[in-house]
Amino acid sequence: MFAVEANNLKKTFKTKQGEVEAVKDVSFQVKQGEIFGILGPNGAGKSTTILMLTTLLRITSGFGQIQGLDVEKQDKDVRKKIGVALQETGIDNLLTGRELFYTTARLWGLSKQDANERATELLELVGISEAADRRVKTYSGGMKRRLDLGLSLVHKPEVLFLDEPTTGLDPGSRRVLWSEIKRLRDDGVTILLTTQYLEEADELADRISIIDEGLVVAEGSPDELKSMVGGDVITFTFNNEESVAKAQSLIEDSEIENNDLRITVENGAEKIPSLFSTLQKNDIEVTSVSANKPTLDDVFLQFTGYRLEGTEEKIKESEEKV
Amino acid sequence: MESNSNTSFFLQLGILTKRLLLRVWRRPLAELPNIFISAFFLFVYDGALGEVFGGGVAGTPFDFAKGNFVNFILPVSIVSASVSGGASGVYLVEDIESGVFKRYQGMPISKWAIILAPILVGAMRVLIQAGLILSIGIIIGADPAAGIFGYFAVLGIAFLWGMGFAGYSVAAGVRSGSSQGAQAATFLFFPALFLAPTFTPRYALKGWLQTASAYNPTTYVIEAMRAIMIDGWVVDLVIKGVLISGGFALLTLSLAVLSAKKATEKA
Repeated sequence: MFAVEANNLKKTFKTKQGEVEAVKDVSFQVKQGEIFGILGPNGAGKSTTILMLTTLLRITSGFGQIQGLDVEKQDKDVRKKIGVALQETGIDNLLTGRELFYTTARLWGLSKQDANERATELLELVGISEAADRRVKTYSGGMKRRLDLGLSLVHKPEVLFLDEPTTGLDPGSRRVLWSEIKRLRDDGVTILLTTQYLEEADELADRISIIDEGLVVAEGSPDELKSMVGGDVITFTFNNEESVAKAQSLIEDSEIENNDLRITVENGAEKIPSLFSTLQKNDIEVTSVSANKPTLDDVFLQFTGYRLEGTEEKIKESEEKV
Repeated sequence: MESNSNTSFFLQLGILTKRLLLRVWRRPLAELPNIFISAFFLFVYDGALGEVFGGGVAGTPFDFAKGNFVNFILPVSIVSASVSGGASGVYLVEDIESGVFKRYQGMPISKWAIILAPILVGAMRVLIQAGLILSIGIIIGADPAAGIFGYFAVLGIAFLWGMGFAGYSVAAGVRSGSSQGAQAATFLFFPALFLAPTFTPRYALKGWLQTASAYNPTTYVIEAMRAIMIDGWVVDLVIKGVLISGGFALLTLSLAVLSAKKATEKA
């Protein structure tokens, strides 16, 4: 039995401008005890998929299962099996961390004594014991995310859903949260997380599903996905655009990116000398050359036609222009 | 340590209500304006008009306060204090805006407990604020003709009236999805309070205001309270006041439940 199953999930929203297909066709299976990452840019349909699987949004068509339970028909039972930390953290800023854990534990049915013990245990687990009796409004962004993660663990869920758990956090806080997520996986919790950070997906996920415009475009372990791109990515850097364009006309299957020319080959070390000599014979000056294993961004580029890195900035830029 | 997700409805309601009370306790300044305005009205009206209508007009048709103007004006301040029930909608919308509402939706909690908790806290607020104004009234000379049970009757009517505002604010807040929408209850309050026999009985109002006040439910709430304070158990006026305030509460609370039910349904 899979921990999570999404089968041809589709979600359509009715708006004043007409129908919007937020999720067109998403399917995947998450194995017990693994970290499964859903990678995609803003607006790809990641959060909508999570909301449907966590019983918070009606499914337009298709179906989802958590530990064999149907998320639509058995939503109450599903809620007992899952923990959810959404992007928009629902945290009461006027309460202290300890009060929030205690209240949540009581709502999950723990006795007063057990709720107190669980609160202390979780405060320690997410590393905010020292701030336990301070109001949440005094917490940093990273502390709030850790608190949110802790709140989703109160009832010891079998499957944890984390929607962009580190968005907006500084690199230090991000790493702290990563190690907590890995520890939970090592304790046997199945984790499904969405992210728009390639590094995060690479670091955490055992398997990844890449989603773009409401569709799954690729799925596999990070290494499997990278091997789909090819062996190595050779990057030549030039002084000017003219040289890049000229180089591209000489080298097959090459792609221009700024003043760089990228070629995917089976073995970079073997191929570089011949490519270099071709360029030299044609009087094209090369500033630098490197050969690297493909990154998830290369995978993303291959399957979607654009890079994920920087899409956030591009979205912000276009929003500012509007 | 076992989690038992089948917590009873009343336990859930109790936990959620306690959380909201903690929020109210931690924002004491938010409670002050309404209680201050209601007390201020009481003192200022009594100071400005108490001398004339409290005795100066004895033997004339304007002796409606029958010698005790505090008895006459106190219901106005109590009605004003009972508007504090309007905070219910604000509590609920704050939880929707902050995402706390969504978190609760993902837990096995009764949606009725989520909706009723802020209404219950609004009800407590009404009782406390109306009770405080009533206490101030007693200190400065209120003396109900209906005796000690008159105090409870006045408080009971104020409670029903306040619940009406609580229901209205929840419905308006949930439908508009914003705290401003919930606070719209306050805007409704001013015409409701002043297109009524606020400072004199209905027969002493000018024609247009007399007509407007006849259509204003606040009129009957104030008249019921005044009857208890000045004339004793005037059954028809008291029943009218109870029915109207109770009907208002029933109507708006039903609206609140319908709106909130819609808000808790999945999109």
